[in-house]
Amino acid sequence: MSTTHTKPAAEPIETLEQKFHRLEAEWDADTAVLSNPNKNMEHPAMQAITALGEPVVPLILRELQAGPSLLVWALPEIVGAHPEFEGNVSTMTNAWLQWGREKGLA
Amino acid sequence: MSDRLRDFFPGLRTTFFWTTSPADPDYNCIAWAANDTSNYWWPVGRAPRIYWPAGAPGEVTLAAFVAVFQMLGYVTSADETLEAGVEKVALFVDAEGVPTHAARQLPSGCWASKLGNLEDIEHDLRAMEGDPYGIVALVLKRPTPTA
Repeated sequence: MSTTHTKPAAEPIETLEQKFHRLEAEWDADTAVLSNPNKNMEHPAMQAITALGEPVVPLILRELQAGPSLLVWALPEIVGAHPEFEGNVSTMTNAWLQWGREKGLA
Repeated sequence: MSDRLRDFFPGLRTTFFWTTSPADPDYNCIAWAANDTSNYWWPVGRAPRIYWPAGAPGEVTLAAFVAVFQMLGYVTSADETLEAGVEKVALFVDAEGVPTHAARQLPSGCWASKLGNLEDIEHDLRAMEGDPYGIVALVLKRPTPTA
């Protein structure tokens, strides 16, 4: 009796952009109505976004171009603190977008 | 967006509510209850620029949240009924007694909430009970500020 071994289908490769949007959607679904910012930042999807490191920064900046978002809180985690950018979310978003333009990332 | 809010809060499926602002991540429900639409009020946090009034306890406890509203002139209220010339705030806690949300009563008797980083809505107070906000733990009141 012969057996046929079929090769398992290859897992589709997720691009960085796809992974970012998947994680962002998970994060948003779980935290959008929460008031506790610690739960926003400590959510596994947010932790996974920050763990993507500097390559994800242009994707975050692109999201911020659409409007202020708590995603801006991920940027200091990834590239380091910029105390001069501190303010509310809108202020931080504008400051980080300006930073991104100067770096050629936005 | 209304459907999404009903998904988050089953109580909104069976009661009237309406959205009164676009989504705005600059402030949260605690700030909104305290009449501030520029800051994210929370006692502690990793995220930059969390605002918490100086002198208020820096801990995520009901006592700390009560202390903040006492600093704003509130005292404990016996109930949530509308009273002429009185502004009320309701504090929500989860099953562990940890504060999760605040809502403010309007002169109409409706309650107003900022939902995380989403919209402001007007709603029945008890419609927000359940997951994720828990229950109303305490109602506070103060004389309605004069303009």
